[in-house]
Amino acid sequence: MSIQYWRIRDRYYRLIGSRCSDCGDEFFPPVYRCKGCGSEHIEDKEMPKTGKIMTYTVLHEPLPGFEAQAPLYLAVVRLDNGARILTQIVDSPEDSVKTGSKVRATIRRAMVDGDSGQIIYGYKFIVSS
Amino acid sequence: MHLMQSKERAAILGYGAYIPFYRLPTTEIARVWKGGGSGPNLEKAVAAADEDTVTMAIEAARQAMNMARVDSLGAVFVGTESKPYAVKPTSTIVAQALGQHNTLAADLEFACKAGTEAMQVITGLVGSGMINAGLAIGMDTAQGRPGDDLEYTAASGGAAFVIGKRSKDAIAVIDCSTSYVSDTGDFWRRAHERYPRHLSRFTGEPAYFHHIESSVTILFKETGHKPSDFRYAVFHQPNPRFPVEVATRLGFTMEQIKTGLLNPMIGNTYAGSSPIGLAAVLDEAKPGDKILLASFGSGAGSDAFCIDVLGGIARTRGMNPTVKSMLERNTKIDYSTYSKFRDKLEK
Amino acid sequence: MPRSKVYVNSVGMTTIADHWESSILDLAVEASRSALKGFGKKSPDQIIVGNMFSAVGAHQEHLGAMLADGLGLSGVPAFKVESACSSGGSAFNVGYNLVRSGAIDSALVVGVEKMRDLEPEDVSQALAMAESAEYTQFVGATFAALNGLLARYYMEQMDVSRDELSSIPVIDHANAVTAAHAQFRKAITPEVVSRSAMISDPLRLFDCAPVGDGAAAILLVNDRGASGNKGKMAEVLGGKIATNDFSLYEREDMLDFKSTRLAFRGALAEAGLAPARIGLAELHDAFSVVGALSLEAMGYSKRGHAPKDAKAGKYDRGSELPINTFGGLKARGHPVGATGVYQIAEVYLQLTDQAGKNQVEGADYGLTQNIGGVDTTAAVHVFGRAS
Repeated sequence: MSIQYWRIRDRYYRLIGSRCSDCGDEFFPPVYRCKGCGSEHIEDKEMPKTGKIMTYTVLHEPLPGFEAQAPLYLAVVRLDNGARILTQIVDSPEDSVKTGSKVRATIRRAMVDGDSGQIIYGYKFIVSS
Repeated sequence: MHLMQSKERAAILGYGAYIPFYRLPTTEIARVWKGGGSGPNLEKAVAAADEDTVTMAIEAARQAMNMARVDSLGAVFVGTESKPYAVKPTSTIVAQALGQHNTLAADLEFACKAGTEAMQVITGLVGSGMINAGLAIGMDTAQGRPGDDLEYTAASGGAAFVIGKRSKDAIAVIDCSTSYVSDTGDFWRRAHERYPRHLSRFTGEPAYFHHIESSVTILFKETGHKPSDFRYAVFHQPNPRFPVEVATRLGFTMEQIKTGLLNPMIGNTYAGSSPIGLAAVLDEAKPGDKILLASFGSGAGSDAFCIDVLGGIARTRGMNPTVKSMLERNTKIDYSTYSKFRDKLEK
Repeated sequence: MPRSKVYVNSVGMTTIADHWESSILDLAVEASRSALKGFGKKSPDQIIVGNMFSAVGAHQEHLGAMLADGLGLSGVPAFKVESACSSGGSAFNVGYNLVRSGAIDSALVVGVEKMRDLEPEDVSQALAMAESAEYTQFVGATFAALNGLLARYYMEQMDVSRDELSSIPVIDHANAVTAAHAQFRKAITPEVVSRSAMISDPLRLFDCAPVGDGAAAILLVNDRGASGNKGKMAEVLGGKIATNDFSLYEREDMLDFKSTRLAFRGALAEAGLAPARIGLAELHDAFSVVGALSLEAMGYSKRGHAPKDAKAGKYDRGSELPINTFGGLKARGHPVGATGVYQIAEVYLQLTDQAGKNQVEGADYGLTQNIGGVDTTAAVHVFGRAS
């Protein structure tokens, strides 16, 4: 379990996505081929850490391992560079989580492998006040 | 030893604090365990279920790096007694999150003074010319045994400092420091235990007061400074009363200590305690101000520093959220939510 | 090589329920035997199994050879096809094309899924494998959550109300009352939907297809492979699979079910039919919002209007385009890898006048739409009467 996530830890910790060297479009998660112009000239690029909520949901029964955080606030966030990311919203009062709310990235425990396994850290977002 | 002073002085180039969003009023703890009343502090800061010393250290470090504007770090040291892993350093995860690989990384433990220790070691590495800049972090998710008096104050939070060569942009110079230790077991945790144990009255005179008074007295003797030379004094704050008492004994006034005294609002963040106090002071200090920083770690020891604020502090205003704004941005939780967040419920 | 006509010769279905007493192989064999009963030859030329998560649910892969052996047909070529919840439709599409090409003359296509052996949270985890492990499962999102995001976006952008969205589950439940193989056979009202437990805001329990076990089997033949009379056959007129950008939220337009649209157009083009000729449609309404967006992608309703149209009766049993004639995914059930094959078996029953109390009158052509992920893969097939 942990190796699959270890190899993309920089993407999880620093939101490193993709940038198309030809047309400049940026994406997170990373891509093999530009969704805008089709170019395969893709380089790593750190994404901006702020954006806005495009849509959200409140999940009462999350995946195993996430029970302690139920209900889970999940949102599609459009980052300032246009890239869209699926993420959990934390530390935000219920009435602040709305379509259009401004958000900023933070780092949190994403998954924990029981009491003796490894902890996977990753991005979550907070509504900016 | 007397005094630690590097030939080339090291300076604070950037700093950042982290205080979690959640607050547990001590009236809640007292309600559950004593049927009423409250603790010595009003509230304590509680890390959420998905936070830990690693996540908070990275948040504080990012702010410090944002302010310091250095590209590479020669050392990343995290001082904490709540490492998520007993074996696997917190500091390498922090280094990875900052994109730093060619760096010396280590975790330090000395109860509540591990953060200031990290500052001393980084100061030495910089001052000797071995590195250009390093990151010193004091951060904890202190765990209080349910029903124990320390539960009122055991809290989460801390601060990070980028320390490097003194430059025109430097915020404050670390003029000198000293350290005083003895084998004194006032508070301890055996290797496989979940919660610490502690003595009661013994934690006062023979522990907290003796060690802080010793380190500060040595500092005064070696430097010739007196309390009135300092604009601010920041002491380790296990509760609201001890720092006020030790300040008075050493000759400091409430005016000097109030900016750095945060225990009433957030409790005792252990290795983060005096570092957050220092961050709060730096948020308002002016060029030329002198700051005394004196930590205390059980086991036991105290680090005392003399820090001089420089002109570079002016450019830092508005760069990062202030400690004050973090104090204000909070939501109250109850004892059951706190128990769930801090994983105190047996499943 | 000229292409043969392809027919659904016969079908088999288990009921969809919590089959505590039956294993995945038990269910597959049961459905297969029913389908093979109507087949005069000793064995089909190929066996294709559609299934999504037997590896997780039963610690079992290699279902093709396993079923062949179970049926006493070892020696027959067999394999499993997987495309998440469209595994059934994809398996059928493979069988259809092989038989159509003449490479083989008959194929047994079996969709099967055992979901109930897993605890509910483990079912969620298994289903979540249809989406990215590293970026979607990583944030704790289940399929209900992804569809919840889609539903809120749809309702806010298109001004669709809660009651309007409930119309499709209401149609499903009404149709399932007389469906013998359906999992839930009780009619509901829009109030039942809006008062049911919140699963992933705004989607409630009655917006979401249930968990259940089942297997459905289709015996496909071409003229050379046919043995029965054409009166009890339905012809497969067209079938296409298409894909969409893998993750829902990465799409230019989240409300554009591109896979469904492409597969629908491709299948109808192959069949040489205009959309208006379709007399009944089995839609993949795993969630109420998916049923609505599917109808809009196929052009039967304008963008944002499918729920309103459903509420106005446009898709009821007696209308011009009845949908989900045996209950759809919500009421008939959704044993994920098997669903695509159930849909086809149901259209077969309709077009051979064997649908009993659920019979749609006067439909010459039927359509099935089977989705994997959130319209990430779509398999659409078109059928007509054989004689």
